[in-house]
Amino acid sequence: MATTRTRVSSFSHNVSFLKSSQHPGLKNGPNGTTFISSGISDLDKILGGGFSLGSLVMIMEDAEAPHHMLLLRNFMSQGLLHRQPLLYASPSKDPRAFLGTLPSPGSSKDDTSHKPSHEKDLRIAWQYKKYFGEPQLNINTNNGGHHDYCNDLDLRKPLERHFFTSNNVDCVSIQNSPNLDALKDRCAEFLAQFSRNEGSISSAGRIAIQSFCSPQCKYSDMEWHMLSFIRSLKGMARSSNVVVVVTFPPSLLSPSCSKRLQHMADTLLSVRAIPDEDKELAKLLTGYQDMVGLLNVHKVARLNTQVPVILDATTFSIKLQKRRFLVFECLNQAPVDGSGGSSYGNSGVCSRSTKVGPLDF
Amino acid sequence: MAESVCRSLRDGALEGELAPALTIKDSLSSPFGFNVFSHILVQLSSHIVAGKSQSRGMVIVSLSRSPSSYTGLLKMNEVDVESSKKWIHILDCYTDPLGWKDKTRKSGDIMDPSNQILSSYKTVKDVNKLFSVICDLGRGLVGENKSRFCVAIDSLSELLRHSSMQSVASLLSNLRSHDQISSIFGLLHSDLHEERALAAVEYTSSIVASVDPFHHSVDGQGSYIRNSSEPNLTKGKLNVRSKRRNGRVRVTCEEFKVGPSGISFAPVSAVDGAAVAGLIPKVQFNLQLSEKELVDRSRVVLPFEHQGNGKPIQIYDGRRSLEESNNETTPISGGKKEESGRGEIIYFRDSDDEMPDSDEDPDDDLDI
Repeated sequence: MATTRTRVSSFSHNVSFLKSSQHPGLKNGPNGTTFISSGISDLDKILGGGFSLGSLVMIMEDAEAPHHMLLLRNFMSQGLLHRQPLLYASPSKDPRAFLGTLPSPGSSKDDTSHKPSHEKDLRIAWQYKKYFGEPQLNINTNNGGHHDYCNDLDLRKPLERHFFTSNNVDCVSIQNSPNLDALKDRCAEFLAQFSRNEGSISSAGRIAIQSFCSPQCKYSDMEWHMLSFIRSLKGMARSSNVVVVVTFPPSLLSPSCSKRLQHMADTLLSVRAIPDEDKELAKLLTGYQDMVGLLNVHKVARLNTQVPVILDATTFSIKLQKRRFLVFECLNQAPVDGSGGSSYGNSGVCSRSTKVGPLDF
Repeated sequence: MAESVCRSLRDGALEGELAPALTIKDSLSSPFGFNVFSHILVQLSSHIVAGKSQSRGMVIVSLSRSPSSYTGLLKMNEVDVESSKKWIHILDCYTDPLGWKDKTRKSGDIMDPSNQILSSYKTVKDVNKLFSVICDLGRGLVGENKSRFCVAIDSLSELLRHSSMQSVASLLSNLRSHDQISSIFGLLHSDLHEERALAAVEYTSSIVASVDPFHHSVDGQGSYIRNSSEPNLTKGKLNVRSKRRNGRVRVTCEEFKVGPSGISFAPVSAVDGAAVAGLIPKVQFNLQLSEKELVDRSRVVLPFEHQGNGKPIQIYDGRRSLEESNNETTPISGGKKEESGRGEIIYFRDSDDEMPDSDEDPDDDLDI
């Protein structure tokens, strides 16, 4: 069991705040779980703290956009900054080359919150100020240092070499292997280092598998083989202190295989491309010019509990602030009936975590 | 003139990036893929000869058409073929793709030594070897230095016929990641393959240009049957989806017309609304009114406004029906008149003399 926490009141959320003495990269979550950061502070906020250790995160790619690479880069880079060992598998011939594109923490930290300007321009009566502050859940957004839970990563600044030339990073190319057995063995070896035991967690690890069923891989038509690989990977990860992130393009699989993979995920995200210079979309959404894509959160992992996570919104816009920092924002939609679109309840393929009802607004 | 597509192929790849790859997709309802392919081939060749493009040479892998047709095509379009051996090389996979003639022929082979831009390739099934042969030929054209060449694959459909989807996809991705390749483009007939093979090729390419019939309907199956009664043999639409570096997709549409001299493009006349509403979630409320709603709103009778037709004003008070209240008032007023006949209480209301002053009375528009 996790460490016991004193309850503040019977109506509290029962989340404890960061115990910085433990490890900067880890944070305690509800129900005895531990979180590690995804590398993107907005995503951590949306998911309620980060990725749970022992969970399987699957990201559905869009064949037309490389946004899943942005998510992977941030994830991998954050792990390396916290000295968490990383195993990276990709269908390219030289996966090590990808490490050169990992982002580094941004140097100048202009605050991401707009509150100071708020104070100047708009004078809100003091008793209403409490409604405007963002609820400070778990995220500690203080400046500086490599000891933050989640760093603001600058995608234009490559990560310093010393982070990944050490023995921390293991890269595997899955292009030429005829089946997934070799990758399964490598993953098993990696996961064995982090098996969970009763004591406190000393370190966490990260596994990132990119474009899992890419068509140039020789096993890409062996669907049951791929499904059993993911299933055994999930089982191994559950009993260890590792987060596994797998990206796959669902359009390249048969619908049943794609659905099965989605059901296996603990946390399911999807990224989608948006058309360029589209007048319809510019009318419907404010801030369209800065958007590069859309992120959908279909499922959020909840380990050790049966209570699902119900999100306020499941669709977010992906923006690159100053072309460097990845942010996710809620969509600001014009109140024009975008008819033909799916409603919030049905937007996800697996919308287990969103409630659908007649009073759904 | 399919400008943007030719421009992207001409500009080629940046350092450290994958080379742009164009897939031209056509189908039986609009079989003009080869016209578009040859148009792009000619455009790119003239750019190469003029020195305006990143690539200095071109390797054509001809699988579905004979190499002489390509030289003829270039000659017809007045591309400089005399110097062609410096910048073009055609890999002949058309004459004998599987090497049957070698097995049957007893005497020596009849290779034409004078044809320096042609080499024959006999093992189409071995995609790895094809890749290395293409690279060698290209390197032979442009040299070992930083210069690049582009690759045109006559028919990806033929390649997919001979070898598996995985090997074709790996060929395309290897070509794209090769240092010396500037751009690649290929033709694909979409009705010859399964969905997954098409999806895989689209996944590996950065620009997909689909050649569609002129009146393109949403369901692919219906359009062929509908169009067969009225086949449009000269016109069609070219829908291009190109993946931009920032992650957005540029969607353009052009009309084209195929004539004896070649193909000509024109910007599309009518723009139809793209189905973007499927991307974003539906909003639960609407602040604007549709036409029908506007008409209905103007027809609503408000209860206290002048209804202007002289009849007694219908005011629904929510408790009784309108007829009942009318019937009840008349006997009561009749009763009052009788009483006043006996006792003669004549009362003149002050307010009767007052005429409602239309300037001041705010309730003027109400008939109470």
